[in-house]
Amino acid sequence: MSEKIQLPPLHRERLPSGLEVVVVDRPGVPLVAVRLIVAAGSALDPGRGHGLANLVVQVARRGTARRSGTEIDEEIESLGAELGCAADEDASGFGLSAPSESLADLLDVVVDVATAPMFPMREFERVRRREVASIAHVLDEPGAVADRAMLRATYANHPYAHPPDGRRAHLAALRRRDLVEFHERWYGPEGAILVIVGRVDVAETLALARRKLARWRPRAAEAPPVPPGPTPVERRVLVVDKPDATQVQIRISLPALARSTPEYFPAIVANAVFGGGFTSRLVESIRVNRGLSYGVRSRFGMSRGGGIFFISSFTKTETAAELVQVALDEAARFADAGPLLEELRRAQSWLAGLHPLSLETQEQLAEKLADAWLYGFPLEQITEYAAGIRAVTPEQCTAIARSWFPVDGTGVIVAVGRAREVAKQLRAFGPVEVLPASRVV
Amino acid sequence: VTRSDEPILPLERVVTHELPNGLRVRLLVDRAVPTVSYYTFFRVGSRNERIGVTGISHLFEHMMFNGAAKYGPKEFDRVLESRGGTSNAYTSNDLTAYFEDFAADALETVVDLESDRMRSLLVTPETLEQERQVVQEERRLRTDNSIFGLMEEQLESLVFQSHPYRWPVIGWMDDIARITREDCLDYFRTYYAPTNAVVYAVGDIDPDHLLDLLGRHYGDIPAGPAVPPVPAGEPPQRGERRAVVRYPAQAPAVMVGWRGPEARHPDSAALDVLQTVLAVGESSRLRRRLVEQEEIAVSASASWAWRMDPGVFLLFLELAPGMRAPKAESILWDEMDKLATKGVSASEVRRAQRLLRSMVLHELATHSGVAHALGQAEALLGDWREAGRALELYAAVGARDLKRVAREWLDPTRRSVVTLEPVEPGSLRRRSR
Repeated sequence: MSEKIQLPPLHRERLPSGLEVVVVDRPGVPLVAVRLIVAAGSALDPGRGHGLANLVVQVARRGTARRSGTEIDEEIESLGAELGCAADEDASGFGLSAPSESLADLLDVVVDVATAPMFPMREFERVRRREVASIAHVLDEPGAVADRAMLRATYANHPYAHPPDGRRAHLAALRRRDLVEFHERWYGPEGAILVIVGRVDVAETLALARRKLARWRPRAAEAPPVPPGPTPVERRVLVVDKPDATQVQIRISLPALARSTPEYFPAIVANAVFGGGFTSRLVESIRVNRGLSYGVRSRFGMSRGGGIFFISSFTKTETAAELVQVALDEAARFADAGPLLEELRRAQSWLAGLHPLSLETQEQLAEKLADAWLYGFPLEQITEYAAGIRAVTPEQCTAIARSWFPVDGTGVIVAVGRAREVAKQLRAFGPVEVLPASRVV
Repeated sequence: VTRSDEPILPLERVVTHELPNGLRVRLLVDRAVPTVSYYTFFRVGSRNERIGVTGISHLFEHMMFNGAAKYGPKEFDRVLESRGGTSNAYTSNDLTAYFEDFAADALETVVDLESDRMRSLLVTPETLEQERQVVQEERRLRTDNSIFGLMEEQLESLVFQSHPYRWPVIGWMDDIARITREDCLDYFRTYYAPTNAVVYAVGDIDPDHLLDLLGRHYGDIPAGPAVPPVPAGEPPQRGERRAVVRYPAQAPAVMVGWRGPEARHPDSAALDVLQTVLAVGESSRLRRRLVEQEEIAVSASASWAWRMDPGVFLLFLELAPGMRAPKAESILWDEMDKLATKGVSASEVRRAQRLLRSMVLHELATHSGVAHALGQAEALLGDWREAGRALELYAAVGARDLKRVAREWLDPTRRSVVTLEPVEPGSLRRRSR
């Protein structure tokens, strides 16, 4: 059986404004997915304005020249859709998925919100209060606290060091004018893509997109910059205090590869063997052989300007050091001897076999196409995925581990739990810094 | 811009079969993607448990991945992954479902793996001890260190006084610690026989070939004993019930539950529409009032989960820091009162119906979603064909129905309320010493 993926025909068009439009007619349930993405995310937040990109995208949906925020909600939801608005480190955008018959009406709202938001003062202030309150709630989720602490410890002064929802104090200092300026500067058609995937008529849909977006004029003279790569970090321990927790959330991480890396397939395969699937080295050693945790995994988080590699797990307070030791031992063993051929083949079959499932829905395909544009990878990475995966050698996996796994004294260890006990346990791994949880938000 | 609609779920193409040992099979061909989704539903969940071994259904679900006669310990996932597949499972109050998603050519391997563990599961003392620790860690994650988990556990114990729904699916920590190997073997014999199971396969399959495979692999597994009945029933609720959870938190929270009808009850669909009116989407009533207008909550959500026996209609409010629970409650009661006295507008009903239609379409957009919908419908409603009727049921609900079900099921004297009372970080530890 050929493992090549046959994508339905992609109809691409670059509008005179520079906007990239991709329309795909795909059979299946009568749903259509729409994504409008601009290549400007939280990495462009100003130094004292963490959370700005996210606030822009959240407040954009709260009113345009033609519609109030309430009208936007009602219009979208009465058509059976919910409008998703989000910013990550590299991009901001709007997305929805709904019955195909409503496409024209839905697209009208999405374009309105993305290109002509008014940022009403009252709504700006209200959404900002809501975002500040939501960030406070992060403190009650130990896993989310650990993720934030990990970004900060791993990326240090890099623009990816703060999460897109920002910091409470920074949000409080932002003004409406900051939102307007961010939008004017970075939301331009030449740095954006519109993807529509579903049961649609291609010619009509392209004509519709041209019509709806005709008035979006190029504004930004400069293309949003891609942030520089992060710099390596020494092994150290960051403990975030949750004095009442009975479980410790643990992350071990270090700066790693950007999405554009030529090592993409070796990294994916090496990670699958080490901490990807249910039979990975980490699951075997931490969950199956020792019962230390319910879940453990590792992953390459790849962005435009860099990325991280991290191991993520949790265990009862008493066994925090044991879990860290086992994870580091496994990383060292992998970097030393690489994968067994049997493990490598299994991981390759697993990744190749499941790849079609990652393209099963209209939303999944729309997201993949938008990602290809954002990160600049060729479509062959989607269609020839299995071949790319199967070509990876054991030596390439070993090389990945030596460069990017937490070995030879690299990798920051983040632990969220009862600091008094956890700090004592983790001293052996490196210098320990203890932070109150409130410092993470 | 759109094409004409075909039936969303082609029920007439579902192939059904029952083996002599009672194993039921439902198959649906769909070659849109060269993969298959394979589900095995067992009609057992926490409602079949008793005090002292709560959580055994879920712990047992973990044990099912720890080896059988042909494929020994650690083999299940290794074999499956090496054939391009992945597997998981979940346990609910009512049922336990195992599923594999895989490249179509691995079908025979999956049938072999699944039939092997149904025929001859191994429960060794070592794997039981290791899995017990894993489950205790899962409980610490989802319940003991989770505000929602702690509150939900309290709420179910308030809403139900005698029905087994009163204990959590994951079980009480002490019970997880005391379940024995004998309990597990007994449980396996009683509930994991072919008579108590249904297999669903959706995707790139050849039904004749698959039926032949199933007959060869499962045919020799003996039919099981009759499953003991569940002690259903619940004394009437004669007034509001309350519980408080004290836990370090940034702000209070409020969770409310009412005992609703069983899934088969005709009001189940109307309650789905009602929860959508209340808390799905930015323009839903509770989000608009509590999050947007009053700014007392950062989130408002509802959940009406269909169950075999009467289930829970649940509302959850996370308050903004500095806000107080009594005030949030009084606004919430005002909204519930409006619902019961003034009802809802036709446009609100239409909005909810369209959102639900999208939700159903999304569910049926994947092989896994279709297989799960068939299994869920058969387990909870008694017939897999019900999976194709959801849209029709939602479309039939009118504004008058919503007012009636709000009065009938969400009465203030029959609610249970759990509030989260934030305490200073560190104060729980000090006291417990």
